[in-house]
Amino acid sequence: MGNSIVNTRDQRFVLYEQIGIDKLFTTDKYSGFSRDMVDMVLTEAEKFAVEMLLPAYDIADKQDPATFKDGKVHAPVCFQEPYRRYCEAGWIGPAVPVELGGQGLPMSVFAACLELFGAANYAFQMYPGLTLGAASMIATHGTPEQVQKYALKMFSGEWSGTMCLTEPGAGSDVGASRTSARKLPDGTYSITGTKCFISSGDHDLTRQIVHPVLARIEGDPPGTKGISIFIVPKYRVEADGSLGKANDVVASNIEHKMGIKGSATCTLNFGENGACTGELLGNEREGIKIMFQMMNEARFGTGMQGLDFASAAFEHAVQYAKERIQSKKIEDFTNPAAESVAIINHADIRRSLLWMKAHVEGMRAMNYFIAYCIDQEHCAATEEEKERAKGFVDLLTPICKAYCTDRGVEICSLGMDVFGGYGYCSEYPMEQYVRDVKIATIYEGTNYIQSLDFVGRKLGQNKGKNIMNLFGEITKIIQSAKSVEALSSYAVHLENAMNSTIALTMRLGQWAKSLDYIIPVMNARPLLMIVGDVVIGWKLFEAAIIAQEKLAALYARLGVNEAQGRALAKDNSEVAFYQGKLANARYFASNVLPTIDGRCACIGLTDKTPVEMAEESFSV
Amino acid sequence: MNIIACVKQVPDTEAQIKVKADGSGIEDGQIKWVMNPYDEFGVEEALKLKEKNGGDVTIVSVGPARAMETIRTALAMGADKGIHISDPALDNADAFVTASALAAAIKGLPHDIIFCGQRAIDDDSGQVGAMLAELLGIPQLTLVTKLDFAGSSVKVIRPIEGAQLSIETSLPCVVTAQKGLNEPRYASLPGIMKAKKKPVDVKNAAALGIASDVKAKVAKVVPPPARAAGKIICGDDAAQKAAELARCLREEAKAI
Ligand SMILES: Cc1cc2nc3c(=O)[nH]c(=O)nc-3n(C[C@H](O)[C@H](O)[C@H](O)COP(=O)(O)OP(=O)(O)OC[C@H]3O[C@@H](n4cnc5c(N)ncnc54)[C@H](O)[C@@H]3O)c2cc1C
Ligand SMILES: Cc1cc2nc3c(=O)[nH]c(=O)nc-3n(C[C@H](O)[C@H](O)[C@H](O)COP(=O)(O)OP(=O)(O)OC[C@H]3O[C@@H](n4cnc5c(N)ncnc54)[C@H](O)[C@@H]3O)c2cc1C
Repeated sequence: MGNSIVNTRDQRFVLYEQIGIDKLFTTDKYSGFSRDMVDMVLTEAEKFAVEMLLPAYDIADKQDPATFKDGKVHAPVCFQEPYRRYCEAGWIGPAVPVELGGQGLPMSVFAACLELFGAANYAFQMYPGLTLGAASMIATHGTPEQVQKYALKMFSGEWSGTMCLTEPGAGSDVGASRTSARKLPDGTYSITGTKCFISSGDHDLTRQIVHPVLARIEGDPPGTKGISIFIVPKYRVEADGSLGKANDVVASNIEHKMGIKGSATCTLNFGENGACTGELLGNEREGIKIMFQMMNEARFGTGMQGLDFASAAFEHAVQYAKERIQSKKIEDFTNPAAESVAIINHADIRRSLLWMKAHVEGMRAMNYFIAYCIDQEHCAATEEEKERAKGFVDLLTPICKAYCTDRGVEICSLGMDVFGGYGYCSEYPMEQYVRDVKIATIYEGTNYIQSLDFVGRKLGQNKGKNIMNLFGEITKIIQSAKSVEALSSYAVHLENAMNSTIALTMRLGQWAKSLDYIIPVMNARPLLMIVGDVVIGWKLFEAAIIAQEKLAALYARLGVNEAQGRALAKDNSEVAFYQGKLANARYFASNVLPTIDGRCACIGLTDKTPVEMAEESFSV
Repeated sequence: MNIIACVKQVPDTEAQIKVKADGSGIEDGQIKWVMNPYDEFGVEEALKLKEKNGGDVTIVSVGPARAMETIRTALAMGADKGIHISDPALDNADAFVTASALAAAIKGLPHDIIFCGQRAIDDDSGQVGAMLAELLGIPQLTLVTKLDFAGSSVKVIRPIEGAQLSIETSLPCVVTAQKGLNEPRYASLPGIMKAKKKPVDVKNAAALGIASDVKAKVAKVVPPPARAAGKIICGDDAAQKAAELARCLREEAKAI
């Protein structure tokens, strides 16, 4: 362990042993990479996260948050130096193609770096993270001139970026946007409107800020289909690329928030003086489609936020549990001479820690797998493989976002419980974790909006092929686990959970066509969590099967049998690590997966009380 | 300018060190290895000199196969090439053997200035830099916190108790780096990508014509005794507590 935020041994396990990213290095696209190189990238990312980002985590929350003073927005002063060095070291876009100034690194490797940065200081990571998302969108959909003019300077970090969707009257319902655009004779557009909650909307880490803004061209139809997207810089850009005069984009305030206080959340007024111009990105009325590229990346990033905090909270909780002495062991309770022990000796603390560990490692495996599927989209040999990989990305992105953030909040809260009263106080980071992680269930589309997308679109996408491919993969793992003695009796729980889930998804189609259509709409969140748990179970079993093989090899090398091998965990960290993987699968199979049958049954009852009861009955 | 920086791979300061059951050394299979922090200052200073005055930076390291990672890290920071002195015969090298190996490798290279860390954080011997200078027959400037290069000479600052020495010498020389000399850069991603293609020569003891005649042998490695629990002196009367503290310090801790 060591760094107190992310288990880097597990990161490498997922990348090398579970996913096997070495397969990528044999493809043309990633042939320049090797494991040595990836190791070095991970080592440097960890070093940077721990030395540069982590020290500013608490400061940017308490003494030095983002501020609004004299009409100007300031990022935390303690972010300035880390931001400069982050850009210098090339961390904005490692996975960006070399032609655009990146290093063409596999996304799966970058995901591991992102976990380190986010777990060290998520509020910081939002500035470069949004810049990357906005720049990538311009690189994909912009003209060559726009790429040259904006994207390159953003990938280098010289300029930063945002995403401007939300308005006071248009939150979840993006189509209600009232920001308008009027075409000017020179082909640019005059933009007028107010956006709120814009992360990094204004700050002083960079002079220029490039805003992708959703707006409706005058006369275009209402709703999402009438929305276009514009590139609106804070300062106008001269023909030679230098910065000209201000572009009438004014931050009128920043929000005072529960957490991520280092991130400036701004209200932005565009064109208050009629002098804000923007360039169209892509075609007219394709704004939502284009913005979806950035939104999908940002949803993955937000799911990573859930994982980041869960990981940091878990690592801290384990450490604390080993140090905090409180209460005797249960078997010594009546013995007055017995000494109190570290709380990690208590069954309830162990149960909590293992619940956290299984979820953290399962989510890590799921998220890196999604990133790996993105890599496969780029390098798969056949169209069929590409489509399959893309299907997994589409299907799993809302799960990544909603599942990891809901569980992330629970894990941080449980981590605080392990700390007792001290967890609630600010001398430990637990209370900040709880506050900082919560926003992730809300922004980037609330977890309900994710769930609706999952149930309404993603489940049936590609004629249901994506979800069937997923169940196909899970079935393979169930079959393998059944043939591993250490896992066979547990694998049955994964099988039952998956079968209940399949049966439930079959009924969704019928409900959709009947008066019961409200059932999946109302239960979208529990539905997403059910599939999420099955996916986590799948990843934990996949890991456990590998761990069992590695353990057998280790025991053979050390010349010990299973029983003797188990006792080695104390002194041999590899043995301990792999045994932990078996524990994950067994615990999750025994304590989480069996609940799925009951949860499916609940939805199957098609009870409609929440929608049938009178509004007045909620509270009189 | 021909600049050389010597680096050693050492256990991470955060690593949990376990002593081998037979006391012959530490369990080295499961710990994280890093570049000796004092060597990082040396590498950084070498890179700064190169950036200002041109030339190239060669990294030299004595160590087992895994030490290659540390050489690559220095190359990713911006050094140009490396020499890896790797030989099982050198596994138990002491400071003298290490310095001899470095000297043998460096002798054959053009060198204007050679950087070492002032000591390595693993065995804390602090001798290699000085021995290397002696073996090469050139001046040594140790524990340096500031360095100015002026064509054919260097001027450095070395702190001593309550004051600092300003020392000047002609080149070539050996400089051992102390904390405060600079702030080492992070390896950049483009640097990491390029590092793979930079040349590293691997040499064994025979190729350098050296033998492993250690002058210091490790008799036994033992972990420090576990720290005993602290003691809290209770009571309401400050004078009484102070007296008790003095008694404890004298009779129990034997500190006064
Ligand atoms: C710190 C922070 C940073 C942010 N950063 C950005 C940013 O950079 N760019 C940006 O554009 N936005 C940003 N946002 C805005 C964020 O994306 C929105 O807050 C979010 O989309 C929800 O919109 P809303 O707040 O208007 O809530 P509402 O849309 O009012 O939702 C309130 C509740 O109603 C539910 N609801 C809404 N519609 C439905 C429906 N049809 N069916 C069922 N339930 C529904 C929601 O799920 C939610 O629970 C940020 C917000 C915060 C707090
Ligand atoms: C804001 C605040 C207000 C408070 N107000 C008061 C007050 O007015 N009066 C007062 O007397 N106290 C007060 N407290 C103290 C509070 O009651 C304690 O923090 C609480 O009892 C937990 O004790 P602890 O913090 O020492 O945690 P610990 O006892 O160290 O517990 C840490 C973790 O270990 C677990 N644990 C401990 N022993 C066992 C065991 N045997 N088996 C299994 N698990 C175990 C706990 O459940 C917990 O998860 C307050 C605390 C706070 C933060």
